[in-house]
Amino acid sequence: MLLKLFLTFFKIGAFTIGGAYAMIPLIRKEICEKQHWISDDDFMDGLAAAQSCPGPIAVNLSIYIGYHIKKGKGMALAVLGTILPSLISIILIAMLFTRFADAALVKKAFHALRPAVVALIAVPMVEMAKKAGINFRNAWFPLIGAVLVGVFLLSPVYLILLTILVSLWQSVKAMTP
Amino acid sequence: MMYLSMFLTFAKIGLFSFGGGYAILAMIRQEVVVTHPWLSQSQFMDVVAISQMTPGPIAVNAATFIGYHKGGIFGAVLCTFGVILPSLVIMLLVTLSYLKLKKQPWFKNIFRNLRLLSVGLIAAALIMVFGDAMRDWFSVIVFVGSLIAGWRFKTNPFYLLIGAAVVGMLFG
Repeated sequence: MLLKLFLTFFKIGAFTIGGAYAMIPLIRKEICEKQHWISDDDFMDGLAAAQSCPGPIAVNLSIYIGYHIKKGKGMALAVLGTILPSLISIILIAMLFTRFADAALVKKAFHALRPAVVALIAVPMVEMAKKAGINFRNAWFPLIGAVLVGVFLLSPVYLILLTILVSLWQSVKAMTP
Repeated sequence: MMYLSMFLTFAKIGLFSFGGGYAILAMIRQEVVVTHPWLSQSQFMDVVAISQMTPGPIAVNAATFIGYHKGGIFGAVLCTFGVILPSLVIMLLVTLSYLKLKKQPWFKNIFRNLRLLSVGLIAAALIMVFGDAMRDWFSVIVFVGSLIAGWRFKTNPFYLLIGAAVVGMLFG
């Protein structure tokens, strides 16, 4: 079980190219559908939390999932699994080819990998939007968030704090008659 | 002293970076090019390219690379640990409170709204990488092909990436 946990996150770390978002459906499949380690709902909340906390999203998510499965031990193994592929590959690249990014074949591969990663981010968004409960009445909120961060390069931290404050205010308002 | 300064710098980067890889790179640039004279601008651009091209979270890759560049294997491990240390503490606290409070209506409400924002933030990342990736007709064709493979045929992302790399090496 612990070995399986480590290997699953090692695999996720090894195939996270160009950021965590492209790998979200795969992580969900491995964790929720194949291994039944946590529920779909807990996974979606974990993703929202991983994005709302500082640090790399893949690392945050592995902390959340690892702890859910096997407390501190699970957390340590999941994090180690996620960062080990980075450590190994980067140290090898730094030692062997200092101008890795200039290698013609690598450049050619990335010519196709970049647009493929964009597609991998786009495809699961529709399903995630459904799971997050987006409808015509509340779609303005993620849309405005996407434009503010994606186009105007606003730091997401302001939106995260604002969201938390408004959520708390909603709850207070609901409680007072 | 150098090692301590590197560790603290990357811990700071981890602590103040919200929104994943691309947002973190901006923060890393500020620290290692502007604040500390560790890398030149062109070296930093190399780091960005390598971090995106190699497996693993972008921020972890960049931390490992810069750490190795400045302080060998020990430096690489140190900077990597530095950049994830704030995550370890903060995310553990969030997870613990989640497990305790997830039945509370006010706590549930926060997560219901954060989930909405979460989709918006992914869309934002999409906007940011889209222009950079669509450089020519070849890229557009690969993008549409991947979209069809992922959407219509539910191709596993592992195989899709391997396929894309092969297509790029052959025709890119």
